[in-house]
Amino acid sequence: MKVSAGSLESSDCLITLSPSKELKITIESSVFDQFGDQIHEVILETLKANNLFEIAVVCLDKGALDYTIKARMETAIKRMRENNE
Amino acid sequence: MSRSYLFIPGNTPAMIQNLDVFDSDAIIIDLEDSVNAFDKDAARSLIENFLTKYAFDEIKIYIRINSVDSNYFYSDVNQTADLAIAGYVLPKASVKAIKQLNQVSNKKIIPIIESPMALLRVEEIAKQQNVIALLFGAEDYTKELKIKRTLEGTEILYARSIIAIAANAYKLDAIDTPYTSKDDEEGLKTDALNAKNLGFNAKALIHPNQVAVINEIFAPSKTEIAEAKRIIKKSEETKQGAFSLDGKMIDLPIIEKAKKVLEKAKKYHL
Repeated sequence: MKVSAGSLESSDCLITLSPSKELKITIESSVFDQFGDQIHEVILETLKANNLFEIAVVCLDKGALDYTIKARMETAIKRMRENNE
Repeated sequence: MSRSYLFIPGNTPAMIQNLDVFDSDAIIIDLEDSVNAFDKDAARSLIENFLTKYAFDEIKIYIRINSVDSNYFYSDVNQTADLAIAGYVLPKASVKAIKQLNQVSNKKIIPIIESPMALLRVEEIAKQQNVIALLFGAEDYTKELKIKRTLEGTEILYARSIIAIAANAYKLDAIDTPYTSKDDEEGLKTDALNAKNLGFNAKALIHPNQVAVINEIFAPSKTEIAEAKRIIKKSEETKQGAFSLDGKMIDLPIIEKAKKVLEKAKKYHL
């Protein structure tokens, strides 16, 4: 089941998580060339901190800073876990 | 001692990460009315991550949590307990609600007086542990009384007066209700001056474009500063508890008031 957190407003990002048999991270961002690696790193670190290695993440970025990406990831993960309870 | 308390919605990164550019003395990050039920968890996480990463020495940051009778109260407090904030703004305040918050937190509290019952109990509220200011919430207050608000504010005159008196009696900050017409600068000035003349020393606001007006009105004017300087100078020269200046009697309360004016002027670099 898919879960989301965040928005497509400026300075925000919309994170969507869905079940997967492998780790898949998809990032769409107008600043991908400059910050794509950094966004990927924040997503990966948040997944690791939550022991999640088999999951699909889609991040639609609208210029979010690291703290926002991390917050939206954490909220989406929490919602996914609540749905699974 | 802050002049302006700007409300910022708790789930909007664009506003939160710019909170230091608005020139408001204090910021109230909101988890209550401006955040819909579905996104309360997202707002908490956003605020937690933001305030863990960034620190602000010059601005006092408060969080308006949800009321004690909501389903979000304990989650709001638990997730923000370790953050370096100046305190909580507590909506729908009552003595019981403040005691409940004090059981789970040691942070300072600004209760919002926004019901007729809270107004009747305002002195008790002012005396509660950790309370540092009283904030008037006129929108909910007038809603409960089923009356319309006007620019003149005669319908809230009594409430404003009692809140300002209670706050000053217990040496708390008195924070006036926001002025909700965000593009009406003249109305804002009138409304803020009405509050100041009743004893409020600050005002809450809902839009950054209101900050400059509020800061100016709740800061001492050049004339007030000059007058205060003359009073303190003469007081130091005469070394007397009471003396005459320009034909007016100056005694201890006036000297203390002058000191406060100069303290404010120094704080705001005037």
